Amino acid sequence: MALIKLENVTKIYSSADVPVAALKGIDLEIERSAFVSFIGPSGSGKTTLLNLMGVLDKPTEGTLVVNDVDIRSLDRAEAATFRANTIGFVFQNFNLIPVLTVYENVEYPLLMVKRVPAKERSSRILDLLERVGMTDHKDKLPNQISGGQKQRVAVARALVTNPRLVLADEPTANLDHATAFKVIAIMHEMQKELGTTFIFSTHDPKIVGEAEILYTLEDGVLVSRDTPERIEVPL
Amino acid sequence: MNNVIVIAIRNLFRYKRRTFLTSSLIAFGVILVIVFGGLAIAFKTQMIGTLTNTALGDLQIHKKGYVESIDNLPLNLTMSGTTLAEVESSLQQNSSVAAYSLRVKFGAMISNYTQTSNIRLSAVHPELENRTCPGLVGRIKGGVSDPDSFLKPGELLVPDNLMKGLGLNVGDEIVLVATNKDGSVNGIPLRIGAVIESILGPGGKDGYMHIEDAKTLLRMDNTEIVEIAVHLKDFGQLSAVFSELKRTMFSDEAGIELHTWEQLSPFASIVRIVDLLIFMVRFILISIVLVSILNIMTMSVYERISEIGTLAAMGTRPARVLFMFLAEGFAMGLLSTVAGVIIGIGSLSLMTLTPIVFTFGMMQVTLMPDIPFQEVLLVTGIVMFVSVFAGLHPAYKASQMEPVDALGHV
Repeated sequence: MALIKLENVTKIYSSADVPVAALKGIDLEIERSAFVSFIGPSGSGKTTLLNLMGVLDKPTEGTLVVNDVDIRSLDRAEAATFRANTIGFVFQNFNLIPVLTVYENVEYPLLMVKRVPAKERSSRILDLLERVGMTDHKDKLPNQISGGQKQRVAVARALVTNPRLVLADEPTANLDHATAFKVIAIMHEMQKELGTTFIFSTHDPKIVGEAEILYTLEDGVLVSRDTPERIEVPL
Repeated sequence: MNNVIVIAIRNLFRYKRRTFLTSSLIAFGVILVIVFGGLAIAFKTQMIGTLTNTALGDLQIHKKGYVESIDNLPLNLTMSGTTLAEVESSLQQNSSVAAYSLRVKFGAMISNYTQTSNIRLSAVHPELENRTCPGLVGRIKGGVSDPDSFLKPGELLVPDNLMKGLGLNVGDEIVLVATNKDGSVNGIPLRIGAVIESILGPGGKDGYMHIEDAKTLLRMDNTEIVEIAVHLKDFGQLSAVFSELKRTMFSDEAGIELHTWEQLSPFASIVRIVDLLIFMVRFILISIVLVSILNIMTMSVYERISEIGTLAAMGTRPARVLFMFLAEGFAMGLLSTVAGVIIGIGSLSLMTLTPIVFTFGMMQVTLMPDIPFQEVLLVTGIVMFVSVFAGLHPAYKASQMEPVDALGHV
């Protein structure tokens, strides 16, 4: 059973009363524990698609099922709970809470959203910080660490709730190549170790090769599905 | 809960200068209320104390209808015989009453044999009057050796301006002429015993004489009392004692009336104005807090839209986002109030070391402000409530943001 299933998904935005179709009839299935990347030029619909799969938005038409739940049936509070239990996010601008330390940023979803007991919380956070190599920086504030370190913290925060799915929108856009590869490597490692499904969007041609499955979007339409061996598979 | 407060406080310190300026403004409002409240309450207490202790007494009892025609000083509305005895008995049995003074009040003509003027007289038993209005002797120029006999039979205490107007000196003989309740005019010679200062400054024409002299002058066969001034053990119990006396002792059939000092003195209006001013200062504080918190929280929400989106994306429920921003407004109000209360109480404490002395009429008023703890509690409650109330709209706005829109906000 696929983790994510999209059937004829369309998303239309009404900008200044002019409807703009960001996604047009997307049909797609993503298996559990996959490491998937979406590429495409700006405005191709990558972020819109990730927002839909992340239950941050709802499709205008079509069916979207994530982890066996039809997301159109969820209200705001239910969607929040669903995200808290099922999905982790990694953002292009890291989006760490500036007033919280590295440790507290990773702790936030466990403490404020899922209310995990202190002992378990501490063990999970320290384990993840160790895995992403941030233990020595756990007491620093986000403005005291580098961009690459921030993104590693963001990956740890996304994974700390043991989500089925981690969505990363342009996670390496603000990083240099070496750091970008390190972050992708960490994500890959976590995918292998924890069985988490990773989906990320990117512009970076060097990073796209790291994905196991690569989807290409153009003008809101899915135009290709590539394997790591770069063999184009017909959709 | 604790974590939300910690995050709220950290967010406040994230914009140190802005938080400092806004907190200073709120703290200034709190200081204003506490210091103004302390001074105003001290002024009120001092003035009321002076009025009640030197002239009015805390309560006054008259024959029904007397206060309505008080300007004429009518001598036909008096208490005597059984009525007087019953009233005195009631007052003696009431444990809240410290003392009472029997007075005959009337208007008379005073003459130095060449010039004549009018005078309002209170004829009293000096020992009773001293116990009821212990501050009265303080108004006698030159002081008094024995306060219980500040007035001797055959003596008259005359206000300063009449002394000057008639060219009188202490020890001079004058003639007092008055009309009694039957219309009969009589005069007696008296000696100026001392000069008494009027509370309200020049213009006062209130003098004092011994009640036995008044009985002679007015040809009273029996004691006919116009006014009974009552002094309470605890002034704070005024309303309760007034109600109790009115309920238990003064029925319509008794034909007597009871008034508090407030109902008899125009200074009660000044007290009401002071209360109004305190209310206005509180209102200004509420406005300051409301505008400041509303402003800072609105700015805070709009500056952190992307952050709100991140919180929502991580699964933070709208209610928790609302609570987080409310906590921020509350924390701002709390920190400001604590600072304001400390500085306000400190300022008042400093003032008690160097009391403010000023003259009101002929009264020397010394302001010794107490810490108005009720005012401190009230102002803390007001600021806390208004802080949460003012933060409600921006916090609600934050909680209702769509995560996808908030995350996309630049």
